Amino acid sequence: MKRLALLALAALGLVAADFRPALPGYEYRFPRDHFSHPEFQTEWWYYTGNLRTPQGRRFGFELTFFRHGVARPPVRSSPWQVDDLYLAHLALSDIDKKTFHHRERINRAGPGLAAASAELSRIWNGNWHVEWRGNVQSLQAVTDAFTLRLEMVPQKPPVIHGRDGVSRKGPEPGRASHYVSFTRLAASGALELDGASYELAGLAWMDHEFFTNQLSPEQAGWDWFSVQFENGAELMLARMRRNDGSVDPFSHGTFVDRSGAARHLESKDFSLVPGATWTSPSSGAVYPIEWRIGIAPLGLELSAATPLANQELTGRGGPSLTYWEGAMDYEGTLQGKPIRGEGYLEMVGYAAPFRFGEASGP
Amino acid sequence: MKARLRIFHRLILRALFREPLRTALTVFAVALGVAVVLAIELAGVAAAGSFRSSLETLAGDADLEITAIGGVPEELLGTLARLPYPLEFSPRLEGVARVEPEGASVTAVGLDLIAQRALGDAQHPSPEEIADSRAVWIGADIEPRKGGVLSLSVNDRRFEFIVRGSLPGAARERVVVMDIASAQDAFARAGRLDRIEARHPPSRPLEHWRQLILDALPPGVAVEPAGARTDENRKMLAAFRWNLRVLSYISLIVCGFLIYNTISVSVVRRRPEIGIARALGATRWDILAAFLAEAACFGAAGGLAGLALGRLLAEGAVGMQAATVDSLYVSSAPAAIELSAGAVALALLTGVAVSLLSALAPAFEASRVAPVEALTSGQREFQARVRVRRDLLAGLLLAVLAAAASQAPPIGRKPVFGYVAALLLIAASAMATPAVVTVLSRAWRKGIRLILGVEAMLAARGLAASLRRTSVLVGALSTAVAMMVAVGIMVGSFRQTVVLWLDQQLRADLYLRPAAGGAGRQAVIHPGLADALEALPGVAAVERFRSYDISYGGLPALLASGPTEIVRRFGKTRFLPGQDRHAILDQLPLGDYVIVSEPFANKHRVRPDDMIALPLDGEPREFKALGVYYDYSNERGYIVMDRGVMLKYLPDAAATSLSVYFDSGADPAVVRRAVERTSADYAVSIQSNRALRAEAMRIFDRTFAITYALEAVAVFVAVMGIAGALLALIIDRRQEMGVLRFLGAATGQIRRLVLFEAALLGLAANLIGLAQGALLSLILIFVINKQSFGWTIQFHWPVALLAGGLSLIYAATLAAALYPARVAVRLNPIEAVREQ
Repeated sequence: MKRLALLALAALGLVAADFRPALPGYEYRFPRDHFSHPEFQTEWWYYTGNLRTPQGRRFGFELTFFRHGVARPPVRSSPWQVDDLYLAHLALSDIDKKTFHHRERINRAGPGLAAASAELSRIWNGNWHVEWRGNVQSLQAVTDAFTLRLEMVPQKPPVIHGRDGVSRKGPEPGRASHYVSFTRLAASGALELDGASYELAGLAWMDHEFFTNQLSPEQAGWDWFSVQFENGAELMLARMRRNDGSVDPFSHGTFVDRSGAARHLESKDFSLVPGATWTSPSSGAVYPIEWRIGIAPLGLELSAATPLANQELTGRGGPSLTYWEGAMDYEGTLQGKPIRGEGYLEMVGYAAPFRFGEASGP
Repeated sequence: MKARLRIFHRLILRALFREPLRTALTVFAVALGVAVVLAIELAGVAAAGSFRSSLETLAGDADLEITAIGGVPEELLGTLARLPYPLEFSPRLEGVARVEPEGASVTAVGLDLIAQRALGDAQHPSPEEIADSRAVWIGADIEPRKGGVLSLSVNDRRFEFIVRGSLPGAARERVVVMDIASAQDAFARAGRLDRIEARHPPSRPLEHWRQLILDALPPGVAVEPAGARTDENRKMLAAFRWNLRVLSYISLIVCGFLIYNTISVSVVRRRPEIGIARALGATRWDILAAFLAEAACFGAAGGLAGLALGRLLAEGAVGMQAATVDSLYVSSAPAAIELSAGAVALALLTGVAVSLLSALAPAFEASRVAPVEALTSGQREFQARVRVRRDLLAGLLLAVLAAAASQAPPIGRKPVFGYVAALLLIAASAMATPAVVTVLSRAWRKGIRLILGVEAMLAARGLAASLRRTSVLVGALSTAVAMMVAVGIMVGSFRQTVVLWLDQQLRADLYLRPAAGGAGRQAVIHPGLADALEALPGVAAVERFRSYDISYGGLPALLASGPTEIVRRFGKTRFLPGQDRHAILDQLPLGDYVIVSEPFANKHRVRPDDMIALPLDGEPREFKALGVYYDYSNERGYIVMDRGVMLKYLPDAAATSLSVYFDSGADPAVVRRAVERTSADYAVSIQSNRALRAEAMRIFDRTFAITYALEAVAVFVAVMGIAGALLALIIDRRQEMGVLRFLGAATGQIRRLVLFEAALLGLAANLIGLAQGALLSLILIFVINKQSFGWTIQFHWPVALLAGGLSLIYAATLAAALYPARVAVRLNPIEAVREQ
């Protein structure tokens, strides 16, 4: 495989001077901080969730908006000037029918093509958008295969991961991100698929991260888990993998209890053991789709499994990525008592080492 | 069946092989006729086919196109992209650029290279490359390669681009692709898109999506199925191609005459054999089939040969046609010539069908030969002579029908009845030919004998004696002559009309155009240049002319504006009879008024005081047509409004051309130098009045080059046929020649006899052709041209052209008689007489 270091070239030259690193002490102001931070190079808004029809048919969804800064300061002599690239990924896991739909988009801001605007309270890429009205976030995603519309209401206030406003990803200062999550969003809405319309309800999760150059070159990718327990608690774990296959000491996690109180987890606090794997027929990447999770300080033991093996988003080369992101089932014990949950798993860097804005091509 | 084959063999094949030269000539004539038809067809497809090129599909096949006069405001793309429908929208900007220094033009296309993946899956331009306004990707036909510098003149400015890569696979054309941001900058069209292309899922019909898109857009923005513009261009070209196609059929008509003649000769000559065959039990149908088979053989052989020849001729024709399309309609590169199965079938079928049709009458006659009749000779010719009067009457009747047909309106913009009238006229003159030949040979006999001697008299008598065949020969040649005369008069008249019009129209001293201009794409000149020129001493006025390509009533048209004040002061725009120039020009700048050019008025049936609907500035608007003016510069037709009125709706001050008028007292050389100095920073071409005129006439002549080529082929076919037919005539009359020699005629006298026959034939054909051609030219000018293109052409005799053409044909006819004359001289008189 030939690695096409395309966007990275542009990015690397700009990083030091033109973008701001994520450093401790950042003061969050909401709702402003839910939207764009152009002073940081990279930013993303991740919506994932597990939803069901009244009859119990299960769907998983992912809608992600990326912003990647290219040129600073913004020139904007023409709306077509490429100051930022806006990518977006959309996936629908039709768990019962065992099918997986995914689409991607790449745009520049252009004349209203894509942006994340605090003034408009809207994050969009073409006709995929999330609009905030008060604390309700409404999502719309239209494709030729399906259309998803959801209203999402936070059940808990946003959680800021890490310590002192930063989520560390590496040893040097600035190898970090500002990372905010809505860990429990009550979601309801409708899905149009194959000419039929479905009423949907369930739980969604929203991650918002902004940073500059967060991964170090030794880091090859990550495994990210989200769990929404039936008992009202949530768990996030992010395992950073190094090029040599070892686990990075800057892997981290957050446990959010029923009340919304967050507890930061360090690498030493948890263990993640990959189990059965699934080999992607399109990219050839081998993904672990079953995991054992142990968090000793919490007395939490979990086994993770996916109801649908093929939830890989295959990129088309260039700036488009190949990764696995899908709905998960969790089961285990918390301090000896049985516990269950659902959530999402994201596995990045299995098809090729990941660099944001840099990607693998054939 | 077997019996029929035997008859065919005995009666036909043997005869054919006995005279290989004549057979070859006939086949060659058919081949030429077929070749011309095929070449025009192939070249037409190639010249027009290139409208829909790989260029169109650079960003994938669009389903719908969103356009607006003057461009689509780019904000609409954002509005559309956010619509909650599964539609994909992509922006596009397109223009002509000139490669410097070689001067070839290329199409420059601006696309959203980030969203569209127009460069193929293997190439992903980095944002850095996209942000670089000098980055371009080029088609395979353009130098330099990757990494090189490409100098382009765009509008009136010059840019240096860096070639970042080449376009994928199919785009082998002269195309330069750049990001939409770079394109807007280079073409100085910030905020505007030429069009937005949309793709929709197949779940609903196109119309459903079209309506949804329309509902989301302000009025004045058009949403049409993709390719509608291509279709419009095709439609516009249809008339041009149709006329060319019909013109190519002339050679076939000439061919038909020749086949008719050949088969007639066969029939007359093989009368004894026919009689014997009939006496031995062959039915009428057997005889008919045999002669039709002979014709079919000529047709098939000619068709096959014509296939190869046509493919060859197409190479030349495509260049000529493409040049015309390029200068008159839209800029396009010709596509490759493809010899499709349809074209092959066309060639073979045309050859066989024309041959069979032409052979029908003589073959039918052959079948009516009674067994007894076989031994008597001469009766048929006698019959022909007594029919002269009846044929003349039929001819008159046909001529009346032709006159009637010429009055009928066109069908679907095609002058079908015009061509019917032309065909009837040809038929009429064919019927009248025997009468003319009779009269002519009688006159010749009486008058010329005294001057030219006994050979001339004998020649006249000989021709009159075999009147039927003579008439057919004269018919073939006169048809070719007539077409030459008719087209010659038409083109000559048209040319003269244009010359006069240019005299009136071109009043300015200098004309400025963007260097990167081209038909069908409107390049512009920066308004600053016009202002600077106007300020120069010695410059009386600068006329800023602006035109936009628009679509009107489903056809391409031009919307233009000029300063009425300057037009009134310097120009000599002529309006159609009955329209008051001063009143019209006084009113034009006062409001929503327009004037339209004659082709536009004819195409869209616009008369003064009609309303013309134009969506401008986001609103549907109505403009009142004040008058119709003569214009020969564009077949699509112009809608012209005052510059002030246009700027109100389309506030873009750039002009597509500038006309500079000098002060009457100023030194033209000095002012011209000042203009050149002022324009030095702009890539504009400056032409003097005379140079522009010369260029216009050059384009005109290039346009009609193919017409002349077609005529030349028709005349060539006819002359070849004459040679073959004279040869047959000589061989048939070998006894007569023998007797003459026996009676003491010198070989020189025999030669002269044959040459006089040819001279008489040629004279008759030229006279008939001239008369017929003059009548045909009236149909061409006032019916066919008017109905297809909508131009008023003043009738004019191109005397030099006609005199030259006719003399040439006459000389060729005589030259064609040289070989038969030699054959006649070589005949052994003793043998010839013994046969008797």
